[in-house]
This record gives sequence, C-alpha cells and structure tokens, in this order.
Amino acid sequence: MSVKEKLKKVLIEDLNLEDVEPEEIEDDMALFGDGLGLDSLDAVELVVIVQKHFGVEIKDMEEGRPAFQTLSTLAQYIEERMA
Amino acid sequence: MRMAIQGIGITGSFGSGVASFRAALQTGSDRSALAVDDSPRYRAGIEGLDEFIPKRALRRIDHFSRMTLLGACQALKDADLLAADRSRIGVAIASGYGALNTTFNFLDSYLDFGYSCSSPTHFSNSVHNAAAAHVSIQLKTTAPSLTVTQFEMSVPSALLSAQQWLAEGRVDQVLFGAVDESCEVLNYCREQFFGAGEKGPLRPFAFSEQSAVAGEGAVFFVLTRADHGANYGYVDEVILGNHLVCPLNLPQDDLFIIGADGHKECGSFYAELLNGRAAAAYAPLYGSFPAAAGFDLAAAAVSLGDRTLYASSDPVSSGVTSAIAPQKLDQGQLACLKFGSGGDYGLIRLSN
Repeated sequence: MSVKEKLKKVLIEDLNLEDVEPEEIEDDMALFGDGLGLDSLDAVELVVIVQKHFGVEIKDMEEGRPAFQTLSTLAQYIEERMA
Repeated sequence: MRMAIQGIGITGSFGSGVASFRAALQTGSDRSALAVDDSPRYRAGIEGLDEFIPKRALRRIDHFSRMTLLGACQALKDADLLAADRSRIGVAIASGYGALNTTFNFLDSYLDFGYSCSSPTHFSNSVHNAAAAHVSIQLKTTAPSLTVTQFEMSVPSALLSAQQWLAEGRVDQVLFGAVDESCEVLNYCREQFFGAGEKGPLRPFAFSEQSAVAGEGAVFFVLTRADHGANYGYVDEVILGNHLVCPLNLPQDDLFIIGADGHKECGSFYAELLNGRAAAAYAPLYGSFPAAAGFDLAAAAVSLGDRTLYASSDPVSSGVTSAIAPQKLDQGQLACLKFGSGGDYGLIRLSN
C-alpha cells in the first residue's frame, strides 16, 4: 500500500470521517477549510497520526504547516523522512 | 420537592425509544442479551441519532456520549421541547463508570506510544463530564451541567442535584440521565471476580446466587417542577442512606421495583427488606450496570403513565420473595429500591 493510500485510510479511521470514502479524498484537495474540512484540533491529531502510523515526528508546527496543505504534500513530507 | 416527569428517552439492548422499552416490559423476556466472545452481554445501539445530530458533528464523540445524546434528544422530543428555548434546561448525568472504553484507549495509547502519540480527542472524551458537555454543546442547553459518579448510588445522588436545581429556580427543566457502557476491560475484571456467574441468565430474584450479566445503555428524563401536570407521573421523594448504619423501613403501601441485578453481594439486603413482599425487577431486560437504576426509574415512569405495573422479567422466585404479578395502577405509589455494596441504598418514590 502506498503512503497516500495508507494516509487516506488512517485519516478516515483515526479522525472518524465516517461520511468520507478513501476515493473521495483527492490528492490535491485542501486538508483544512473548504476541502476535507479539517480544523485546528485535527492538526494536533495529524501530528499524532503521522508519528504513530509512519514513525515520522513533526516537532515544529511551522515545519508541519506546508506539509498539511494537501494529501500530496503530507505524503511527500512523510516519504522524504521515511527514506 | 415533587418533580414531574415530562419526557423519556432510552436506548438499551431492547432497542431505542419508549415504545421499544414498553414492548420489552410487556413481553418480559431476556432475549436481548447477545453473546459476545461466548459470554452474554447487553449492548445498546445508537440508531436514530442522525435524526437529531449531523453525522459530521458526531465524529469526535465516542459511543458513551452518542448513547447519551440519543437518550437526551429522544427525551426532549418526547416532552415536545426539541424546538423550545433551551437556555434554562439543566443537564445532570449519573454514571457509575463514565466513558470506560475511551479512558482505556487513551491510557493504552499513552503506554504503547508515549505521551506525544496520545490522542487529544481521546483525552477530552475521557473526562467524566464530557458526555454532559456534548449534550450542552449540541443541544445548546446553557443552564448548569453536571455529572455524578457514585457507582451504584449515582442515579439517586444525581437526582437529588436535579431536584435541588428545580427547587432553587435555577432551571425550568432538567435533562436527567443515567448512562454506562460495556467495556472489555471491565468485563474481564467482572469475569475474574464472578467467574461463571457472568455467563447468565440474569436472575434478579435468586438473591443468594451470582447471576449478573454486563449491560449498557442510556436513559433520560425531562423533569420539571410539579406545577403543571406530568406526562408520566411524579418523583415524590429521593432518599439515600446506609441500611447498616440507619436501618431502612420500607413504606408500607408502595409497590416496589427493585434494582436486584444478580449481584449476590446485594441480594441479602433485598431479601431482608422485602421479607416476603412481592416486588418487580426488570434487570433481565437491560443487564447489570450502575446506571441501570435509571432504567428501573423509567420502568416506574412508564408504568405510572400506562397505569399498569408490568410483570417482572424473571418469574423465578428465590423462596424469600416473589416476582410481582402484573396489575393495574389506578392509585398508589411506586418505589425504586437500589442497594449497593456495604448496605448503601437509594429509594426513589413516585406516584401518578
């Protein structure tokens, strides 16, 4: 399973997005605001999710901010640090 | 001060809503206990909650609080208050254990992955007042909000607070609820303590036997002062005490619904106090858990509303007392009697 596919799966499961299917999360859809509709508390959960499921620690939210733009940017951030 | 019961919301293994509960009282069977991992459990669903709360709004709300919200919304609907101004509705919730699954999930994540991987959502839901907070936020009830946990005495204890709010004029209505959830950690502990007794069937009148079966559910009542009538009847008196310190004398003319739920430790108190008097018990309909005292209260309220005391769901007599026969309730009083460990008791007297 690719990082993007796994990300979609854990986002839905861990954030309880019961009304969203994995295929509905587009690669370039904004994670926050009008896109997937996540909010500031989800940002904290995202830090936990990334560390728990991918072993990648986001120590600084300023560093994480660009990564949290879309599914693609987050997947890229994870892949770079997993390598 | 007398309190009037204006609405009821309820979810348990028999289904959700007053109609399902009434049907369970009428049929009196224990078919609702479902086997999970070879052990019977009474599990409650949350079907119908999306009628009241959008699905997206529920995503940070755990099963415990979802049961709570369903019961609260149904009670408001039953009292015809869903569209009313809710700024003077207080929320008082009784729970023996609170949101156990979320609490243990949070602790597990902390132990397995460290504090940096502990979910903030799990933490916020593990706080005991979280369910009451969800009710207040989702239903926009801005009057006092409180959760009382006092194990088996949680229901009468929280009911005293609701009564006090109404007497003080701090609120016009109280959404009073009782909630507990099934939890594998708790069930494991119960099996260690009670062994084969957890296998059921639950027999409330076998006072000297351990036959408790774990259950879960939520029940809510809309309570008001008794000035303008009641849809289901009145709570006349709430008494808490300890029978070993100050012996309880049962009111002579009341019919009793006892909270006997198959716990041998408490059985002898019921046997002694009833001393041959017939009583009703409905624990085989919803299982054994501290908040089940609220289900007993719902059984009393429905009985008063229907003017019928339904037959106990366990017709087996222990020889000390017997299950009451179904009867008409034209006049007179009902009382819910619940014993906890060590002689603690709660007595809630009702009338129509």
